[in-house]
Amino acid sequence: MLQMDGVQKIYRTDLVQTYALRSLSLRVAEGEFVAVTGPSGSGKTTFLNIAGLLETFEAGTYRLDGEDVSKLSDHARSRLRNVKIGFIFQSFNLIPDLNVYDNVDVPLRYRGMAGSERKRRITEALERVGLASRHQHLPSQLSGGQQQRVAIARALAGSPRILLADEPTGNLDSLMAREVMNMLEEINAQGTTIVMVTHDPELARRVHRNIHVMDGQVSDLDQRLAA
Amino acid sequence: MLGYYLQLGFRNLRRSPVLTALIILTLAVGVAASMSTLTVLYMMSGDPIPQKSSRLLTLKLDNYPLDFNDTDEKLPGILTWTDVRNLREDAKGLRRTGLYGISGIVYPNKEGVKNFFADGVAVDADFFAMMDAPFIAGGAWTAAEDRSEARVAVIAAPLAEKLFGKESAIGRNLRMDSEEFRVVGVLHDWKPTPKFYRMDGNSSAGSDADDIFIPLSTALAAHRDVSGNTSCYSNADPGFEGLMRSECIWLRYWVELGSEAERAEYRDYLSAYVQRQKQLGRLPRPDKSALYNVREWLQEIEVVDDDTRLQTWLAFGFLSVCLVNTIGLLLAKFTARTAEIGVRRALGATRSQIFLQYLSEAAALGLVGSIIGVAGAFGMLHLLAKQSPNLEQYARMDPTMLATTVLLSVLAAVIAGLLPTLRATQVVPALQLKSQ
Amino acid sequence: MEIRPILSALRHNLTGALLIATQVALTLAIISNSASVIRERLAVSQRDSGVDAESRILTQRPILFSQIDLANLIQTDLDALRAIPGVESVTVTNQVPMGRSGWSSTFATERVPTAPNQSAGLYFDGGRLLETFGLKLVEGRGFRDDEIVNIDPKVQNPPPTGVLLTRRLAEALFPGQSQFVGRVFYQGNTPDSEELRVIGVIERFTTPWAQTGPGNEYAVVFPARYLNPFNHYVVRAAPGAEAQVRKAMEEALEKNEPGRVSNGQYSIQEMRDRRYRGERALAWLLVSVTVFLLGVTASGIVGMASLWVNLRRKQIGVRRALGATRGDIVRYFLTENLIITSAGIAVGVLAAWGLNGVLMSELSVPRLPLDYLLSGVLLMLLLGVVAVLGPALRAAKLSPALATRSV
Ligand SMILES: Nc1ncnc2c1ncn2[C@@H]1O[C@H](COP(=O)(O)OP(=O)(O)O)[C@@H](O)[C@H]1O
Ligand SMILES: [Mg+2]
Repeated sequence: MLQMDGVQKIYRTDLVQTYALRSLSLRVAEGEFVAVTGPSGSGKTTFLNIAGLLETFEAGTYRLDGEDVSKLSDHARSRLRNVKIGFIFQSFNLIPDLNVYDNVDVPLRYRGMAGSERKRRITEALERVGLASRHQHLPSQLSGGQQQRVAIARALAGSPRILLADEPTGNLDSLMAREVMNMLEEINAQGTTIVMVTHDPELARRVHRNIHVMDGQVSDLDQRLAA
Repeated sequence: MLGYYLQLGFRNLRRSPVLTALIILTLAVGVAASMSTLTVLYMMSGDPIPQKSSRLLTLKLDNYPLDFNDTDEKLPGILTWTDVRNLREDAKGLRRTGLYGISGIVYPNKEGVKNFFADGVAVDADFFAMMDAPFIAGGAWTAAEDRSEARVAVIAAPLAEKLFGKESAIGRNLRMDSEEFRVVGVLHDWKPTPKFYRMDGNSSAGSDADDIFIPLSTALAAHRDVSGNTSCYSNADPGFEGLMRSECIWLRYWVELGSEAERAEYRDYLSAYVQRQKQLGRLPRPDKSALYNVREWLQEIEVVDDDTRLQTWLAFGFLSVCLVNTIGLLLAKFTARTAEIGVRRALGATRSQIFLQYLSEAAALGLVGSIIGVAGAFGMLHLLAKQSPNLEQYARMDPTMLATTVLLSVLAAVIAGLLPTLRATQVVPALQLKSQ
Repeated sequence: MEIRPILSALRHNLTGALLIATQVALTLAIISNSASVIRERLAVSQRDSGVDAESRILTQRPILFSQIDLANLIQTDLDALRAIPGVESVTVTNQVPMGRSGWSSTFATERVPTAPNQSAGLYFDGGRLLETFGLKLVEGRGFRDDEIVNIDPKVQNPPPTGVLLTRRLAEALFPGQSQFVGRVFYQGNTPDSEELRVIGVIERFTTPWAQTGPGNEYAVVFPARYLNPFNHYVVRAAPGAEAQVRKAMEEALEKNEPGRVSNGQYSIQEMRDRRYRGERALAWLLVSVTVFLLGVTASGIVGMASLWVNLRRKQIGVRRALGATRGDIVRYFLTENLIITSAGIAVGVLAAWGLNGVLMSELSVPRLPLDYLLSGVLLMLLLGVVAVLGPALRAAKLSPALATRSV
């Protein structure tokens, strides 16, 4: 499903070059639920950004769903993101000016889907996260957990092949965190591949596999080989 | 504290320089455009002789033939010689003068100066005192000289300089056409704006300053041609004598009253005069005579023309767009600093302190904008004067207008800053702003 | 891209949107009215005067001071002017078209005071006036040299009764007629008014004042030299000979009576420029105001759009992460701007009409033609798109990684 070999990412500023990733290689198989752990600044978000085609990289190869995506245009990468990838962010990232319904609608609009189809998917996704009755609310009128559930609905509505989550529970209390985690497991059970960055050892234990990133590399040699 | 805010304000001008420049430019352009046209309007509708404008009257008489097919046209403000002579002889009011435009070729008695054409007016001796015309040398001629049709003249300073250089002009001779005039007085560069005493709704009479003033009696005796409108609605005998005897109208008449209160009395006299003339078989139509003081007269002849009014409208439309734009840009500038306001509030700034700080910043912008705007207004006035000689006399900024301009632009900036400032005070105190 | 989500987002930035819409509305109202005034003024300043080659017709008005034998002096002047190489024709007259001062009189078809009275410019043809100005006759004939008489104002000879008039005046005096030669009319509408007879009709000849109204083409030409010192000499220079004729004209007139004062030498073209200076000045003032206004409004849109882009950096990143292409982002801002501009335009159209109504009743401003309003609408739409393009493109360049990185 997801295959990276020797991916290297350097952030250049005027003064310094930061090696965010140095020769990162890993594989995630279809249907897996993988947790990415590691200390702050180790390159987890960078990895996720590259995996989600949000950023480009300097060296190495990256195949998503069998397709080499290293040389795709910005436009093609946008389309791929829209169709194949779902995102869940630590700070939810709902659009504050839009209500719940319209927030879930955003990626579907970009896919140019017909109105009736969008409506069906939005309702379905909101029902799945248990927020169908709140579709008229603005993000500011929801709790953190509810916001994150809307974000999950938004990620699910497009039926992505892979779900990328960057510390999805980082801004939530443990009760809500567990709730969100339950939801993710449910989604994974229905066949969606999930890669989740997390700090929470408890959550990390609940997934199929842990990948530990350290200093821009997968630290655990076994994990690398196993992949 | 205000000092601190203004200082902050000026320092903040350097933040987001493009936006700041845009705001200042917008304000400056709006102020320049509106102030330059407003200045012209103000000068046009200004009172050229405020100290006595209500005591200085001119008049209209209806001497059309009985069957004249007039529609609703205004009476012209010029009179027959018969009426002017009668009014002068009746000698009502404190001072009085008849008046008509003259012109002639001046022969300078000086090396290197060619003959030239000069404009002037024929007036009575009272004219100078009535109009408060300032002399730099000599003075008006006497009433006796009026009666004796003396060849005397009062000339304007630029003409005196041109003809006689630095030497005194008093007592020197001025040759106009085939006549010699003795200069008895030199006027200061006297430019009542507008030139109300001659204007009769025909704009060309209003532009240049008059150079030569000679006694009306002398001009008439010499049959000096009329420079200006002459209207005849019934036939006149040939020649100047014919014109003087005719019902043609071509002279203006001004009277100065001792006080405004005498106006009613003068009004009665005028009605009685019209009745007397009717008994003599003149002025056959119903009495439509009218009196105007200086301000009323300027209004009657519509000194402020449609184009000037259009420009003024336009300037204010323009200013309003500039103001709306400034509000928008200030809003942009202030909103971009929401985080800073939040922090300031968290650090203990009260709403009113934030309000004052941001309003001071708007005022600082206004101050800079006004300086550029004033410079722009001067430039625009210069252009206006160049483009239209009729406007030249009006396109001058006086201290009142200058102060108004500065005040207006600061006020404009503060008004424009009000809404964005109020919005700024709504920001909730926070040390760190939540994302989005 | 649909409009509803954009509208709901706009609701949260209402102040800015309203400011921009107001600005667009005011600008549209002002520029469409300005444009129609500009057109009217420029059209007035370009009206045909009937003179065929305005830059080649030169006029000079020396003030003759030896008042003894004016008839002779004028003839000598004319002979001297005619002798100048490059001069095609010469005349003397009391006034010139667009010269801004001159004679007018009233004319009527009946000698009763209730009869309609047309005010018209009164020209004297001192011989060869039509030829010199290059005027076209549409009916009848011009004056023969032997018809030209001298009028001495001190004696007041009766003026000749056979006259030329302009077609417009003829049509106004004799409504519904198409043949005018031989018709009788009067100078004035009183019982003692002079009787006149039409011997020729000039296609077009503007008055010295070139009024804005139809009266600018009302003129009557008498075959006479009026013996006062203020006549205009008019010469017609051959093409290319203008400069040389100008100089020679000046010299010839100076030589005939040294020390003369002349009120300057002008071509009819220059007279036109002076006559219409006010119209042109106003037109150019309006043009510059229009340009400035468009600039100001554009800057307002740029400023507001930049602010919105900055405030929505995160949101843009999220949209990009959710699959929006760069084009989608640009389209979003364009659509949003289009909505605001259109709202402004809708109000602006009403404001333009309202303003026009007020201006028409208060000032001499023409009715606003529909096509000007439409052009204004298109211009504002275009302005909005162009102004928002910069910020929108900047927004599209924002990295999708902003979704995970920025605060
Ligand atoms: N835009 C950027 N410019 C420069 N350095 C960056 C940028 N983004 C991340 N980095 C650096 O790259 C490294 C990895 O960052 P990140 O992937 O965000 O770490 P994590 O998510 O594991 O905490 C860090 O050292 C960080 O400082
Ligand atoms: Mg991170």
